Amino acid sequence: MESMPMEVQHHHTAPTSFIRKYVFSVDHKVIGKQYYFLAIFSVFVGMVLSWLVRIHLVWPNIHIWGLGVLSPTGAPGGVMSPDYYLSLLTVHGTLMVFFVLTTAPQAGFGNYALPIQIGAEDMAFPVLNMLSFWVTFLALCALVATLFVKDGPPISGWTAYPPLSAVGSDAGPGLGMGQNLWAVSIALFCVGSLLGALNFIVTTVDLRCKGMTLMRMPLTCWAWLITAILSLLSFAVLFAACVLLFLDRNAGTSFFLPAGLLVNGKLQNHSGGSPLLWQHLFWFFGHPEVYIAIVPGFGVISHVLSVFSRKPVLGYKVIVGCLLSIGFLSFTVWGHHMFLSGMSPYSGFLFSIPTLIITIPATIVSLLWLGTVYGGRLRFTTSMMFGLGFISVFVTGGLGGMFLAQPSLDIFLHGTYFVVGHFHMVMGVAAIFGMFAGTYFWFPKMFGRMLNEKLGKVHFWITFVGVYCIFMPMHFIGLEGMPRRYSSFVNDAMQPLMPVHTFMTIAALTTGAAQFIFFFNLFWSMYKGAKAPDNPWESTTLEWTVPSPPPFDNFGGKHPVVSYDAYEYGVTRNGKDYIMQTDPPGQPASS
Amino acid sequence: MSHSSGPLSATAVHDGRDLPVWGGGALPYAVPSKKLGMWLFIVSDAITFSAVIFAYGYLRLAAPAWPRPFETASIVNATVMTFVLLSSSVAMVLAVRASSLGKVSGAVGWLVATALGGVIFDILHIREWLGLIAEGVRPFSNPWGTPMFGAAFFTMTGLHMIHVTIGVVYLLIIAVGFGRRKLSAVDVEVSGLYWHFVDLVWMFIFPLVYLLSAKMA
Amino acid sequence: MEHAETAGNKIIFSVWFGLLGLTVLELVLAYRDLPLETMLSILMVLSVIKAAMIIAYFMHLRYERASLFVTLIPSLVFVLIMMTVIFADSSRLAHMRSLIQ
Repeated sequence: MESMPMEVQHHHTAPTSFIRKYVFSVDHKVIGKQYYFLAIFSVFVGMVLSWLVRIHLVWPNIHIWGLGVLSPTGAPGGVMSPDYYLSLLTVHGTLMVFFVLTTAPQAGFGNYALPIQIGAEDMAFPVLNMLSFWVTFLALCALVATLFVKDGPPISGWTAYPPLSAVGSDAGPGLGMGQNLWAVSIALFCVGSLLGALNFIVTTVDLRCKGMTLMRMPLTCWAWLITAILSLLSFAVLFAACVLLFLDRNAGTSFFLPAGLLVNGKLQNHSGGSPLLWQHLFWFFGHPEVYIAIVPGFGVISHVLSVFSRKPVLGYKVIVGCLLSIGFLSFTVWGHHMFLSGMSPYSGFLFSIPTLIITIPATIVSLLWLGTVYGGRLRFTTSMMFGLGFISVFVTGGLGGMFLAQPSLDIFLHGTYFVVGHFHMVMGVAAIFGMFAGTYFWFPKMFGRMLNEKLGKVHFWITFVGVYCIFMPMHFIGLEGMPRRYSSFVNDAMQPLMPVHTFMTIAALTTGAAQFIFFFNLFWSMYKGAKAPDNPWESTTLEWTVPSPPPFDNFGGKHPVVSYDAYEYGVTRNGKDYIMQTDPPGQPASS
Repeated sequence: MSHSSGPLSATAVHDGRDLPVWGGGALPYAVPSKKLGMWLFIVSDAITFSAVIFAYGYLRLAAPAWPRPFETASIVNATVMTFVLLSSSVAMVLAVRASSLGKVSGAVGWLVATALGGVIFDILHIREWLGLIAEGVRPFSNPWGTPMFGAAFFTMTGLHMIHVTIGVVYLLIIAVGFGRRKLSAVDVEVSGLYWHFVDLVWMFIFPLVYLLSAKMA
Repeated sequence: MEHAETAGNKIIFSVWFGLLGLTVLELVLAYRDLPLETMLSILMVLSVIKAAMIIAYFMHLRYERASLFVTLIPSLVFVLIMMTVIFADSSRLAHMRSLIQ
C-alpha cells in the first residue's frame, strides 16, 4: 500500500473527465477542497450530536424527533438512554478531534495553500495525496457507519479506554461491532494522515521555488511543516495501538486486559495485559495530536494578523522557534492526561514540568501576536475578527491548562467539567476560530468569489460571545465539583447547578444555530458572491499573484522567483503599502 | 545515474517530472524526493514497530514468568532466516548498483534474487508458525502458561511477515517496471530502502522474540 | 554528483560478514546463563550496531549529506527515548503483581 511505486505523472495538462477532475483528482487544490468539505460534513454532524447530548443533559426525558428511528434500542421512542448519550458523545469527540480538527487546518487548507505559497505546481506525490484523502474518506465512512449498526456507536468515548473497549459486547452497548468499526476507522485515519504528512514534508523541503528560502516562507507553511512532522511521528504510535486493540477484541490477545476481569457478571478469559499500556500509547499520540490541531491555527493567525494589521509579523524567527519548541515539547508531556490513571507517581512529576514549560513558547507567541497588531492600521475584516478572537479564546483556554498541569490540582479537577471547558476552549474553539479565519481569508482564492462580510461579522459576534457562554461556565461548575461524562443529574446533589447547565445548553443551541449563517454564506457565496479579484486583501504571498481561482498548474506555466520576505507590509512603494514576494528586487514595486 | 552536472541536475530525476525547467530551489538533502519520502515513511514505520515491541517489553517485564520454549531447531531455523534476509539485502545492494549503472538485466536479476530471498524467508517463517500452532500455541493460550507469549509472538512476527510479503510484491513490481524501462534507477533505490528496513527490523525481532525465549540446554 | 560515491564490493561484503558475525555472537550469548537484564542489554547493543551498519552501508546513509542523517535519526531516537518512560509503569506493575502472589 504505502510502498507502491509512485506514478510518474505529467500534470501539465489538466484532466477533462469529471471523475479525474473532481473525484479522483490528483490536483492539490481539489484535494484540499475535498478535505475541507469532509471536515464541514463532520463538523455539522458533530455539532448536531453535541446539541443532542446538551439537550439530554438538561431535559433527560424529552422526545427527540427521529432519534428513535435511528436507534430503537438506544433511544426508544426518541428518549435517549444514558448509554446512548455516551455513544453519541463518542461519535461527537471522534468526529471533531480526528475528522475536523486534524483534517481541515492541516490537510484542507494545507493541501490547498501550501504548494501555491511555496511556488510549486503541486504536492511532491500527487497520487499519494489522492490516496491519503480517499483513505481518510473510508475512515469517515467506517465511523459514521457505527451510527447505523445494530448496537450503535461505542460508549467508550473518543479515547476508547480499555478494559471496557477491549472486551467486546459484554461490556455494554456499542462495544461489539461499533467499537470494531471505530478501531478500523482510526487505524485507516492514521494511514491517511501518515501519507499526507510525509507528502507535506517532502513538498516543503524540495519543491520551494527559486528564492523561497525557509526563512521567507509564510508562517502558515512553517506551521504545516511542523504539524506534518508531529503527525509523522505520532500517528505511527496510534496505528500500532489500534492494531493491538483490534487484536484484543478479535484475536483473543490480552495486550490491554488484565486477569480476573469481571464485566457485567462475566469473567473475561484474558490475562497478562495492562489498560495503562493503552493509555500510554494513546496519549503518546494524543498530546502531539492537540498540537496537530492547533499549530496550523497558529500559522493562519500569524499570517492573517499581519495582513490585516498592515505590519510585518513581530518576531518572525521567534515564532518559528516557538513553534519548533512546542512541537518538540509536545512529545514530552503526554502523561499529564494520566495523572489519575494510577501510573507511577514519579512519572506524574516528570510530566508536570514540561507541561508547565510548554506554556512559555505558547505565551511568547500570543504576546508576539499582540505586538503584531499593536500600532498597526487594522482592517477589521471577518478574517481579522476571527484572528483576534483566536488570541482571546486561546489565552482563556490556555490559562485553565496551567491549573491542570499540576498533579495536585488535576486530581480534583480531572473528572470535572473544568477539563471539558479547558480543552474545548483551547483546542476545539481556538482551532475552529483558526479555520474560520482561514476560510474567510482564502475563500476568494479557493472559489473565485467573496464571502459576504456582513453575514461574516454577524457570524463572528454570535460565535464569539456564544463560545464564552458555553465553555466559561464549565470551568466554574467544574471547580464546584460537577463531574463530567454523566448523562444527567436528576435528583442529585448537583441539582443546584442545573440552571447553569440549562444556560449552557441554550447558548450551545444558539451558537450552533449561528453556524447556519456561516453555512449559508459559504454555499451562497460560492455561486452568487461578488467576483473576487486576484488579491482582495492586498497580501504579499504567492497565492495572491495568481488568478482566483488559480489555473490547474497554479502559475500557468510561469515560474515565480521570490525576492522578499513573506510579510513586507507598512512600506511605501508606488502608492502601495506592501511588497509582493515576487516583486523584482531593488526596484519600485510593479503596479 | 546519468545526470552528473552540478547539484541542480539532481532535480532531473526528481519524480520523473521536468523540474529543471521549473528551476526552483535545489534539493536541500541532495536526494530525489521519492527517496526522502521513503525515508520519512521508514521513520514512521519504525515507530509503529517500536510501539509494538515496547508493548511486548512492557508486558514481559510486568509478567511474573515468561516461557522460553524455543528448541534448538527453532533457533537454528530463525538463524537461517536471518541469514537469508541479510543475504537478500546484499542482493538488493547489487540490484541498486546495477540499476544505477544502467545494467537493466543485471538489476532485474538481482531484484528477483532479493524477492526470492523474501519468499524463502516467508516459507521458513510460515513453517515455524505452523509448527507452533501444532504445538498448541494460540494468541490467547499456549502449553507453557502466560497466554501473552503467543499474542506477542504472533503480533510481532506477523507484522514483520506482512512487511516482508508486501516487500516481495513491491520488488517484483519494480523489477517488471524497470525491466520494461518504465521505472528509473531511483525507483529501484527507493524499493531497496524499504527492503533494508524490513531486514533491519528483523535484527531486533530475532534477539527479542527468539533468543530471549530460547530453551536452555 | 554526491551519491556517485558508494560502497564498493569489498565494503558491502565486509558489512555482510560483520552482520553475520554479530548474529553468531548473539546466538552464542543467548545460551550463556546471564541474568535477563544483562542479556537484554547486550543483545540490544549488538542489535543497534547491526541496525547502524545496515543504515550506514546498505541504506547508504553514510554517503548522503550529513543533514539527512541529522533530520531523520535524532527525531527517531528522541521518540524512542521518550517512549521508554512507559517502562516505569511496567516495573511498578511487576512489583505490584509480586505483592499479590
